[in-house]
Amino acid sequence: MSRSALRKLHEGWRIQVRVIHALMIRELNTRFGRQNIGFLWIMVEPLLFAGLVSVIWRFMKGPEEHGVGIIAFVVSGYIPLTLFRHCVGRSVSVFVANSSMMYHRQVKVTDFVFVRFLIEMLGSMMAYTFIAGVLILFNEFPVPADMGMFVSGWLLYSLFTLSLCLVIAPLSEMSEVLEKFIPVTTYIMIPFSGTFSAASWLTPTLREYLLWSPFVNAMELMRGGIWGDKVTPYYDVWNPIICSMVAALIGLALCRHVRRTLVVE
Amino acid sequence: MYAALSWLNKKMIICRNLSKSYTHGGGRKQVFKNLDFTMQRGDRVALLGRNGAGKTTLIKLIGGVEMPTSGKIERRMSVSWPLGFAGGFQGSLTGYDNARFIARIYDRNYPEMRDFVEDFTELGRQLKMPVKTYSSGMRARLAFALSLAIEFDCYLIDEIILVGDQNFQRKCHYELFERRAGRSMILASHSNEMVRQYCNRALVIHDGLATTYEDMDLAIETYDSL
Repeated sequence: MSRSALRKLHEGWRIQVRVIHALMIRELNTRFGRQNIGFLWIMVEPLLFAGLVSVIWRFMKGPEEHGVGIIAFVVSGYIPLTLFRHCVGRSVSVFVANSSMMYHRQVKVTDFVFVRFLIEMLGSMMAYTFIAGVLILFNEFPVPADMGMFVSGWLLYSLFTLSLCLVIAPLSEMSEVLEKFIPVTTYIMIPFSGTFSAASWLTPTLREYLLWSPFVNAMELMRGGIWGDKVTPYYDVWNPIICSMVAALIGLALCRHVRRTLVVE
Repeated sequence: MYAALSWLNKKMIICRNLSKSYTHGGGRKQVFKNLDFTMQRGDRVALLGRNGAGKTTLIKLIGGVEMPTSGKIERRMSVSWPLGFAGGFQGSLTGYDNARFIARIYDRNYPEMRDFVEDFTELGRQLKMPVKTYSSGMRARLAFALSLAIEFDCYLIDEIILVGDQNFQRKCHYELFERRAGRSMILASHSNEMVRQYCNRALVIHDGLATTYEDMDLAIETYDSL
């Protein structure tokens, strides 16, 4: 019995991998087409954001802040932030936008969320690699001191983003009011994302509060990995992990609930 | 023992105690309730009912596009997606892209599928155009070609899609009723002629209740009197 259950699970996994692969290609085709640079566009937006904002900061605040290069610091904060903001934006009404695909039973609603998240994650990782590579050549970005720590931070940040998307996608289907609040919420949460400040720059009390945010913990981990001894990172890896688990569980339950009442044209 | 097992493995679709209602705002619309229905492999079932009786809804439930409010559907054979004008395609993608997508998610060989689609649809260069530029007849050709290329045990068909030109109807007839004579089918239809020609059983839906008929003449008579 357990053997056949295992086989079923394996078969289901195989099908979902196939479906996500097909949906990703389809999404890339519909969003970027095959003209000019095609799907490379996915990295252009985060690149422009991180590049231009860091240049502005460079002129406003000078070359360094608290001993780290300002351009590198802004880039290290802005790329994860664009990942989060784009993923949230793309999760709104994702089920309705893809409803014609629901004619195929093997396509699950969560696949749509995974696909859009994976595309954004891929795009920002490419953008990050590209911009960091160029900046390292010009000595504006440090070679990461601890690659493992940096990648762990990135993965935790992404994991929490995905879990939030799993909540937002079904909620946006349940209430249209939510959609109106999302842009302002993602804006308000910028200070709580650790984008423009390191925890070590803050007063101990403020730091304690900010470290409740899973994003800040993940961001600290990433920056610790990039600058190594030059910064003092404050983080607890369990915070983003536990927050993600809780959000994902709620999100999956909501997805299931919404799927049962979803009207497909 | 083996007889019991073979019954379990028998290809069929079972709907148990199916209810579906839609809520919007404060309103609630019960489409049907406590519907029980079983079909075996080889059954060609006509869904009869007036506009809005719930034919398309039932097809969507059996196809798994929407979920029942309560009750259960067991699919013990492979069931196509509902073949109609609306679903299953991405309008901004070309016919070829859609074929490739379907081949991927159903794990079929794409070159074979492409050849069949080209041959069956006779759409030629139009296959390189986005599906949203297709006429409904052209969409019907594409939808049928793709579902025939995948080979299902049971086809779910909304009648409107069968209203193609003579050539298309002839092809559908050949592929569905001659080459795949043993397959099952659920056909939502208003055309008595089509129902009489193709179906051996009928399900008449009226006022949220469904009745099964083995006698087609009786079913059509009942339906006409609604």
